[in-house]
Amino acid sequence: MSAQERRALLLLVAGFTVWSVAFVVLYGMQALGCAFGWGDWHRPMLIGAYLLSLLPLGWLARQRPYSTGEPATTLSISALWANRAALVAGILVYFPVTFATVCI
Amino acid sequence: MSQSDLSPIRLHRALNDIWGTPPGLGRLSSVNHTVLGRRFMVVALIFFAIGGLLSMLIRAQLATPNSAFVGPEIYNQIFTMHGTVMMFLFAIPMFEGFAIYILPKMLGARDMAFPRLTAYGFWCYLFGGSILIIAMLMGVAPNGGWFMYTPLSSRPYTPGINADVWLLGITFVEISAVTAAVELFVTILKVRAPGMSLIRMPLFAWYMLVTSGMMIVGFPPLILGSILLELERAFGLPFFDPTRGGDPLLWQHLFWLFGHPEVYIIFLPAAGALSTIIPVFAQRPILGFRAIIAAIVAMGFLSFGLWVHHMFTVGIPHLALAFFSAASALVAIPTAIQIFAWIGTLASGRPRWDIPMLYVAGFFVVFVIGGLTGVMLAMVPFNTQAHDSYFVVAHLHYVLVGGFVFPMLAAIYHWMPHISGRQSLYRLSVPAFWFIMVGFNLTFFLMHLTGLMGMPRRISTYPSNWGWDWLNLLSSVGSFILTMGFALVLADIVMQFRFGRPFRRDPWHAGTLEWAIPTPPTNYSFAALPRIDAPGDQLAPRLIGPQLAGGRGYLGFPRDGQMETLGVDMVTGEAEQLIVLPQSSFLPLWTGLATGSIFVALLFGFYWLAPLGALLTVVLFLLWTVKLGRKHDSGPVDIGMGEQAPRDVECPGNVTVLANRTAVVMDAILFSSLLFGGLFLLVVAPNWDGLAPLDLPLWLLALALMASTAGAGFSWLARRANASGLLIGSAVAQVLAVVVLAVLMAWVPEPTGHARQATMFALLAYATIHTALGALMSSYGIWRVQQGFVSTRRNTELVLAWLWNGYAAAALVPALGLVLMLALAGDGA
Repeated sequence: MSAQERRALLLLVAGFTVWSVAFVVLYGMQALGCAFGWGDWHRPMLIGAYLLSLLPLGWLARQRPYSTGEPATTLSISALWANRAALVAGILVYFPVTFATVCI
Repeated sequence: MSQSDLSPIRLHRALNDIWGTPPGLGRLSSVNHTVLGRRFMVVALIFFAIGGLLSMLIRAQLATPNSAFVGPEIYNQIFTMHGTVMMFLFAIPMFEGFAIYILPKMLGARDMAFPRLTAYGFWCYLFGGSILIIAMLMGVAPNGGWFMYTPLSSRPYTPGINADVWLLGITFVEISAVTAAVELFVTILKVRAPGMSLIRMPLFAWYMLVTSGMMIVGFPPLILGSILLELERAFGLPFFDPTRGGDPLLWQHLFWLFGHPEVYIIFLPAAGALSTIIPVFAQRPILGFRAIIAAIVAMGFLSFGLWVHHMFTVGIPHLALAFFSAASALVAIPTAIQIFAWIGTLASGRPRWDIPMLYVAGFFVVFVIGGLTGVMLAMVPFNTQAHDSYFVVAHLHYVLVGGFVFPMLAAIYHWMPHISGRQSLYRLSVPAFWFIMVGFNLTFFLMHLTGLMGMPRRISTYPSNWGWDWLNLLSSVGSFILTMGFALVLADIVMQFRFGRPFRRDPWHAGTLEWAIPTPPTNYSFAALPRIDAPGDQLAPRLIGPQLAGGRGYLGFPRDGQMETLGVDMVTGEAEQLIVLPQSSFLPLWTGLATGSIFVALLFGFYWLAPLGALLTVVLFLLWTVKLGRKHDSGPVDIGMGEQAPRDVECPGNVTVLANRTAVVMDAILFSSLLFGGLFLLVVAPNWDGLAPLDLPLWLLALALMASTAGAGFSWLARRANASGLLIGSAVAQVLAVVVLAVLMAWVPEPTGHARQATMFALLAYATIHTALGALMSSYGIWRVQQGFVSTRRNTELVLAWLWNGYAAAALVPALGLVLMLALAGDGA
């Protein structure tokens, strides 16, 4: 039970932690690319980082809760919802890398 | 001694003797969470009244066009102080005080994890706030707006001490926020009643856990920004001066990195109070418990991805605007989930419409309007139009008053009987609510209109032909009605204390543990600690209370005159350790005064005095530990209910270790902000072209790194082998690192000449301070070993020495790496 709950607690914050790291990486790449003139490579690199960030978010969003063992199940379900929210937030917030003007 | 030996009255007297606060001047030595929580709230309400009076002056000035009531200079001070007082001296300390007062009781603990730290935080708050108020009375209050934008707040444009008062006063006050963040985080995770697993914690504790986590991440950027700006103002280090390679936008980033999460840091505790109050009055458990937990975690993270929406008009690329705009709109969803959960709870329950529910209803109306205008402002085109107009003033007041003041008033009416031991008579409560509701909406709804009509923020007066006259006059009338409402609430509170009906226990039929203790609360809160086997907000305090008062539970007996409570496994909630808390002491007061001397010395330019104040503060902190700990191993001891647990000093995962780890995280975030600042200036700031690379003595960098790594290595070996003698090697190596880093600081050519050198200087100063801290922690370990406080089982000091020495060495790598990059700037870097 304890191990289950500890895993659920980690999962609860895992999705949005990945989301935060992706945010910092993408915002940093945007600034560095503009400062150092990455030119035509800038957007493909941003899109690559965007898609890469969705991989762990997608994996976390599929981590099913335990079928037995209250109260661990409760925390696991919260974790599942938080991770799905992180995936949706990742898709929506970073989607502008595909079309928005990068340096202006 | 066991729990059956004493009658409830004798048990009460025995515990009261141990936990009581001395009378007279001895009250200043109190470390009790009930006493300090009340003091925090009372002082916060006094500051609220001051902030309210300032708002009356603002509205008096703006009631009519071309007003000559106060001049522009005084007006600048008034609106700056209104925002500063309300945000830093009222809202944050108010919820801190409330959490300090209520959380241990809700969690089934006798006190917070670090009572002296609570007291120290209170004194820092009181003294820091007093500096600001005294400065205002002397006519030298901050006058650059509550967010102190540079270059307006830089020396050339604010030559007096006004901005220094803000930077130093607020940093002093923020010590209390930092200490509260660490303490709340550790207390929620470790100091609960046995059986209260994480998932059984009441929702308010979940809210405060997320809030404290946000404070740990959110406050360091502000503290760093304040330090850098004060360094610029006092010593000319040009971090924000674009003519010397600095950038005013760096200040905006650092401020709003704190400033936007701050809104949620204020809102979440209020939402936690609502999540506690609404089920009580709906007479059913809250709907969507699991969704709410997911929502507050989402809010906690998303709120850190919004800060640039305060900077939409400063000239930021479209892609970055789109990131922050999307995140700003998205954060409305977890907020809405909570609002729907509360509405659903009421809709599916059997609501009782008592006074707290009036304010809950007021919250729904006001906060939802504020949330909707927030989504409007998240859209870049609209934001560009409404930026810096009264529309923003209206929005932020709807969010903050709706999201904090209305829930606070609901909480006051809900929990005031807990503090006073009396129930309200309600003669004034209903008219007070309507005065507040009508006055607030009259004041601030109209500001949406004046804003959309183009009225900018912070103007001290306006001409009469722009169509704003009547709207402003009505806003001012509304503000006076609002103030009358607050005056009635104050009178109502006084009446409750004086004439309220006494009650036996739990007048609301609530489900949380704070109602299981006597009211007004006893010094020790719980005569015995309960065993929790149900959700923490669905308990039966009326049934539990008498059992605990009779000593039937954990620790239902006095022992050796010590203040005892229990520490638990942070996930499962099983009893893990017996925590022995320090008793009343004047040391927090003296330490607060010593800390204050640093800020006062800096404020008045006596820079040579500041290090002495810092030294005195460190010495006083070390004195805190003199009587703490034990000189022999005692093994597991009786904790009642047939169970045993080791004392905290013999437990590897004790609260002191967790608090220090948390402090290291906070420190690392401050350092990350500094690294971000350095990189930001290197990449973005103007006037970096044409710089010549500096000939950095690389061997000194290598020597500092080797010495500090050796210091960390010795401390690691000392902990691993429990060989305290190795700490001497650790301390010596770190002192060597300090000397080398100090030489490097002295080497930096003309730190005031350009932001590059200034940043190098700041990075080296950070590294020097932390290697010195590593040396200090090793020396402290040596001292404690010599005193006999350390053994194989009692090795906290060794763990802490490794923690801080390891961090110092680890931080040196990126610090020196960035120093090197900066030195090479101008040479293709």
